[in-house]
Amino acid sequence: MPAGQDATVPAVDDAEHSISAVGIQKTYGSARALDGANLRVRSGESRALLGRNGAGKSTLIGVLTGLVQPDEGTVRIRRADGSFPAGATTGAATGAIACVYQRSTLVDSLSAAENISLRAHPRTRWGAVDWKRLRHTGGDLLEQWGFAQLRDREAGTLEPLERKVVEVCRAMVTEPRILLLDEPTAGLDEGATQQLFSQIEAAKARGVTILYVSHHLAEVFEICDTVTILRDGRDVLTKPTSELSIESIVTAMSGTSPAAGADRGDVSTAARTRVDPAKPAVLQVRDVCVDGRVSGVSFDAPAGAAVGLTGLNGAGHVQIGQVIAGQISAARGHVAVKGRRVQAQVADAIRAGVGFVPEDRHVDGFVPGMTVVENATLSILGELITPVGTIDTRRRASHYARQATAWMIKAQPSQNAEELSGGNQQKVVLARALASDPDVLVAINPTAGVDVTAKDSIYTSLAELRDAGKTLLIVSTDDDDLAFCDQVLVMVKGRLDSRIDAGYDEDELIAAVQGVHRNTPAAANQDNNSVTGAFEARTPSHPLSSEETT
Amino acid sequence: MMSAEHTPETMISVPDAPNSGTRDGSASDRAPRKRRSWARELSLLPAIVFVGIIGFALSANFLTVNNLLNNVLVTSSVLAVLVVAESVILISGNFDLSLEAHVSLAPMIAIWLVTSQVGGGSGWGWSPWAAIIASVVAAVAVGLLNGLLVGKLGLNAFIVTLAMLILLQGVTTGISGGATYAELPESFVVLGSARFLGLSVQVWIALLVIAGAAVFMTRFPLGRKIYATGGNIQAAAAAGIRTKRLTVGVFVAGALLAALAGFMLTGRIASVTATQGDGIIFTVFAASVIGGISLDGGRGSIVGSALGVLLLGMIQNILTLSNIPSFWINASYGLIILAALVLNYGTSLRTRSTR
Repeated sequence: MPAGQDATVPAVDDAEHSISAVGIQKTYGSARALDGANLRVRSGESRALLGRNGAGKSTLIGVLTGLVQPDEGTVRIRRADGSFPAGATTGAATGAIACVYQRSTLVDSLSAAENISLRAHPRTRWGAVDWKRLRHTGGDLLEQWGFAQLRDREAGTLEPLERKVVEVCRAMVTEPRILLLDEPTAGLDEGATQQLFSQIEAAKARGVTILYVSHHLAEVFEICDTVTILRDGRDVLTKPTSELSIESIVTAMSGTSPAAGADRGDVSTAARTRVDPAKPAVLQVRDVCVDGRVSGVSFDAPAGAAVGLTGLNGAGHVQIGQVIAGQISAARGHVAVKGRRVQAQVADAIRAGVGFVPEDRHVDGFVPGMTVVENATLSILGELITPVGTIDTRRRASHYARQATAWMIKAQPSQNAEELSGGNQQKVVLARALASDPDVLVAINPTAGVDVTAKDSIYTSLAELRDAGKTLLIVSTDDDDLAFCDQVLVMVKGRLDSRIDAGYDEDELIAAVQGVHRNTPAAANQDNNSVTGAFEARTPSHPLSSEETT
Repeated sequence: MMSAEHTPETMISVPDAPNSGTRDGSASDRAPRKRRSWARELSLLPAIVFVGIIGFALSANFLTVNNLLNNVLVTSSVLAVLVVAESVILISGNFDLSLEAHVSLAPMIAIWLVTSQVGGGSGWGWSPWAAIIASVVAAVAVGLLNGLLVGKLGLNAFIVTLAMLILLQGVTTGISGGATYAELPESFVVLGSARFLGLSVQVWIALLVIAGAAVFMTRFPLGRKIYATGGNIQAAAAAGIRTKRLTVGVFVAGALLAALAGFMLTGRIASVTATQGDGIIFTVFAASVIGGISLDGGRGSIVGSALGVLLLGMIQNILTLSNIPSFWINASYGLIILAALVLNYGTSLRTRSTR
């Protein structure tokens, strides 16, 4: 049977379906986001929608929820009143799908019940808020989801799971037939996740159709009946979960054929000498713990190498980067650069020789209202001064000019940083990180939200830094960022779980972030305390051999 | 992207990509903007000229050297020093209502330490200079407390400094018992009576403070760190700036300048009362904002806010000289400030759209 068999089945009885999207095309400029994608979901079914970043998931969800107008194709969504539009329409009615996204949208100072009715407060005859009806509505919904006791609690005092349930209830207040859950378990511990799953099961039993989006493949097997996998804007596979394994899903998501790893030999020779364990470590991370996020992570990084650090959402890789940069403090363990311990303070990390590119340039990257040159030298403001203590603008200008050439920043030095394109802003933040001439560069999502040209130019500059003997730690989930690295460290649930050398197959990485190892028996997953030992034992293997694991 | 705090692949990420490419090109070929930033700082000059012409038309006494130098500038000096203090605090992204209280508190503490019990003082007979130093130390302590509560504990600056304002005004009233001190030592009034090169020393102090703060904020690393902290405190912290310490320092500096303003006012009116400077904080905010300081922090310049002071000083002088009934002067003043803010908003919109 070819993959995608379900999608090719001729139109099924409409009475059974809640979602029917056929032949959806959507192009942004020259980028084709969806290329004839199909998605049909029966009423009461729970369907996982999977795909890698850029596979078209977001666009397809946008089309289903009515936020994105497809160029071609027909979309039919069962309405809250149970009707299913008879004719083929393009575009969907907003509100027919209850959407719960990862980011919390609750107003902390209001009660759970008021949060649930926030979009349309019930009114009395006189136009005032009908508190009795509001609490009744919220209470009923919360009771359905097993959390009736939350009705009058202030949202800000709720536990992560309770917040999620209130979010779900808010989405369900208009009584739609379909519920979209995007990474619903992010930030929930194991017990809370199981509680949420049992409530989702109960909702399914009430006839609610579930569309489940997650990067945690293990969850999909717990909660979903069927899986649809998108790749390059197309649905490449739709199958019952029972006929699939994590392995087969990973293979379908990456779409790599076994031959793809053919050239890995020459790629990794150069890379492997760069991360040769015999080389002295410049950056040492020892037994670092961050409350609730990271437990006991240790690794070394030598000079002249790029080390990647990745993981699923909430795996703790971002926190490791922040600890090294002194942005957050570790509950236990320490970080050392060239043998000198780094205090939990950005200023001290800079003194110790750490340059830092923060996670989101809009949040803590650059200062709007300040010029490009000032932003690029913000971390060394106190150093470029004249004998009387004023800023030495000439020295600063020449310092910036060197950075601007190195990073190919296309901007006037006196231009306001907020006027720049995303790519140039990011280069300014990178230049700032390197202004203090650090030995170690910690870059979190260094190419997030920049266009392809800027991305390439950033890699070129990073490669020059690496060849000049800097230690690069690239904390990212972007495939291109990680492909640039000589070695990728993979974190799973707060622990360092595996180490992959450059030239890896894409599906090797996808499986690794799930905590699944293609060539080691399952037992190795348990033993992730002594990471170094586990890695050396592993040898590169043919991707096909992994089939035996499952 | 599966970063910890973000939705993987947000809806916006896909349509954003083609956009950023085109913005890239247009951003690169733009003329240097050095001159434009000067234009923004001096954007109040036309308004000042305009108000000057109106003043000339309304009263023959307005456009005389004597009126401009001895009335407009002298009466604006105290306000100018306070506006500089508030501007630095506003640029750092904070807020201080209690500056007003220093205007009466600092001279009051000093005169109380000096004056005999019969004269309504402590009777301790401190020397005037020791008393002035003690009152300055008190101002620093208040600034430190404000800074710690706001910067370190993260309490809301509006409420903290409002409570501080009420507390300090109460302390001033308590110390004085409602009395007015008119017998001042020479060192208390020198700031009001002394003249230098034909100008009151008040004006020189104000000019010195403005020039010093302007150079400090534009040319010194610490000044730029204040701008960075107010512009984006998280980015400043990520660049290694000690933002909490900086906040404390800014509050202390503001309190010091406000105490100086208090002694300047005492010198000018040659007395100390518990109510001196009451209500001036609103004019301070008005002048700062008209002068281009952003209440959100990180934007505006000292020169700009000094011009805001000059504009308001001229308007107040014209209102006094004009035929407006004295009971209506305050209402006219409020109306003009409102109009100035709206006009200023219009011009700032224009500068923003010419990007």
